[in-house]
Amino acid sequence: MVDLARIAVRGLLHRKKRSWLTIIGILIGITAVVALVSLGESMQLAVRRSFEELGYDVVMILPGELGGGFGGPSSFSTSFELDVDALSTVEGVGEIGLLNFQSVYVKADGTEGVIDALGVSDNIFSFFKVEIVAGRGFRPGERGVAILGQEIAGELGLGAGDTLQIEDRPFNVVGIYSADSRLDEDAIILPLVDLQELLGTQGVTMVLVRVAPGYDVGRTAERIEAFLYRSRGRRDLSVQTMEEVHEVVQRALGILGAFLGGIAGIALVVGGIGVMNTMYTAVLERTREIGVMKAVGARSSQIAVIFLLESGLMGLAGGALGTGLGSLLNFAAVTAAKRALGARVLEYGISWWLVLGAMGFSFLVGAIAGLLPARAAAKLDPVEALRYE
Amino acid sequence: MRGEAIVELEGVWKVYRMGRRRRIEVEALRGVYLRVERGEFLAVMGPSGSGKSTLLHLMGCLDRPTRGRVLFEGEDISSMRPATLARIRNRRVGFVFQSFNLAPTLTALGNVELPMIFAGVPRGERLRRARELLARVGLRERERHLPNELSGGEQQRVAIARALVNSPDLLLADEPTGNLDTETGREVLSLISGAHGGGVTVVVVTHDPEVAAAAVRALRIRDGRIVGGTDG
Repeated sequence: MVDLARIAVRGLLHRKKRSWLTIIGILIGITAVVALVSLGESMQLAVRRSFEELGYDVVMILPGELGGGFGGPSSFSTSFELDVDALSTVEGVGEIGLLNFQSVYVKADGTEGVIDALGVSDNIFSFFKVEIVAGRGFRPGERGVAILGQEIAGELGLGAGDTLQIEDRPFNVVGIYSADSRLDEDAIILPLVDLQELLGTQGVTMVLVRVAPGYDVGRTAERIEAFLYRSRGRRDLSVQTMEEVHEVVQRALGILGAFLGGIAGIALVVGGIGVMNTMYTAVLERTREIGVMKAVGARSSQIAVIFLLESGLMGLAGGALGTGLGSLLNFAAVTAAKRALGARVLEYGISWWLVLGAMGFSFLVGAIAGLLPARAAAKLDPVEALRYE
Repeated sequence: MRGEAIVELEGVWKVYRMGRRRRIEVEALRGVYLRVERGEFLAVMGPSGSGKSTLLHLMGCLDRPTRGRVLFEGEDISSMRPATLARIRNRRVGFVFQSFNLAPTLTALGNVELPMIFAGVPRGERLRRARELLARVGLRERERHLPNELSGGEQQRVAIARALVNSPDLLLADEPTGNLDTETGREVLSLISGAHGGGVTVVVVTHDPEVAAAAVRALRIRDGRIVGGTDG
């Protein structure tokens, strides 16, 4: 086998240019597959981490139907009123955090504009952490204060201790926060009551419920759902566990990954056809040599193995190079995303199964593409092959 | 007294189908009876297209007859599996062709190794024997050369080394000197004679009288039939 492989390698080296071109065909396909699949993995990794941060014992109450328009910005700014005291009596309901996400008109030092504001209940930072990089966070019951995102603080030229006007009311900037993503750093955090007063509403746009220790998250979510229907008389709110949300997101990412992988797969198929073409040419070109090998005693199976190894090795070479290039592309993409969006939106990571899988698969693509040409070579009649000019 | 036969042809016909739809039938051999005895040096002479090469291919188990029987050491090759025929070609027969037919991607050494690779001989043993055979044909210094870096005579000497490397019983040469100048042809012929001297049965197909003269027995073939022969 090793010796047949040596003959195969000789064959490949003999027509270097064509071998390389064929290998590049496979390389492109595998590069695309590896880059896209690993990018999907990076995204899933980042999503999983952010969900773990929030905790799987948290249930979200959002306006609208479950699944319908999940994640759309409108669902985040549609506000609703809710009897929090009654909600807290539902079995299994622990801490309740309230959020209201709106746009507000802000004026500071001559600059003004509309920015996103997040009104939060005092306890909200026990649900998710916000990193305070300057100043401090809110104190319980504190009013008329604001925490600015690093990005927007820079744009407005404000630091901790400064004041700004929100809807013509003065607020003290007590702290500056940074977030995982620069996208999330252009908002302003206010006490919920202040935001509600500014907008003249009692509403919230999202309620977070921590399930009390010892209670099942799914069951508690069902009880909350039942309570909401009983107290409101309609299903205008949806209750989602983090697990459900995570699942939806993972599924979406999975579909995206499969779709991209499929497109990349087409490139790989084209590469495979390139291998087949090259191998048919090689068989034709080396007809006489095949005849000679048969004359000196090669069995048909040995001829087939030589050609299968040739095509398989081209696949493997393309696969190895493609895997390297693909992970390099992924690394570049993740690095670029980090630089553009900040912090850790994506994580660079390439799994060993992807590497092995990609290489194994590319060898397989090569070998399968070589199957018919190898068969054609093995089936050649030695006398006719020797006579071939 | 008749010696032991290594190959026998009994009423052998070989009909090739040629052309685009394989409709044209060419009768390459038309009822050939021939007996090659162990240790013989036989020359088969005839013009081109007379069926000489076909005869050689059948004797070397490279092809099967359309009609009649080819017996290799008494066994009908038509009833043998392709793998068995490949094994006979590998271990018992050595081929030398007019156009040398070396694998262009392999060095002289690699070409001589080739039959042993298919025989499953371990690498160390292979190199030893290949070098020994190359030395015997005087090409020990040229082992790293590719065929296109060798002269015609050198290529044919590599081919002879390759044909002999698995110690065959039967050496079949198809116009071995046909592409060589007289002097080089003589060298090649003496290598073939040397093989015969070493106990190998040799059948040479040729239209070169000098080659035929080196043989112990000569036969004439014309239009697919043996038309006469001479002894000595």
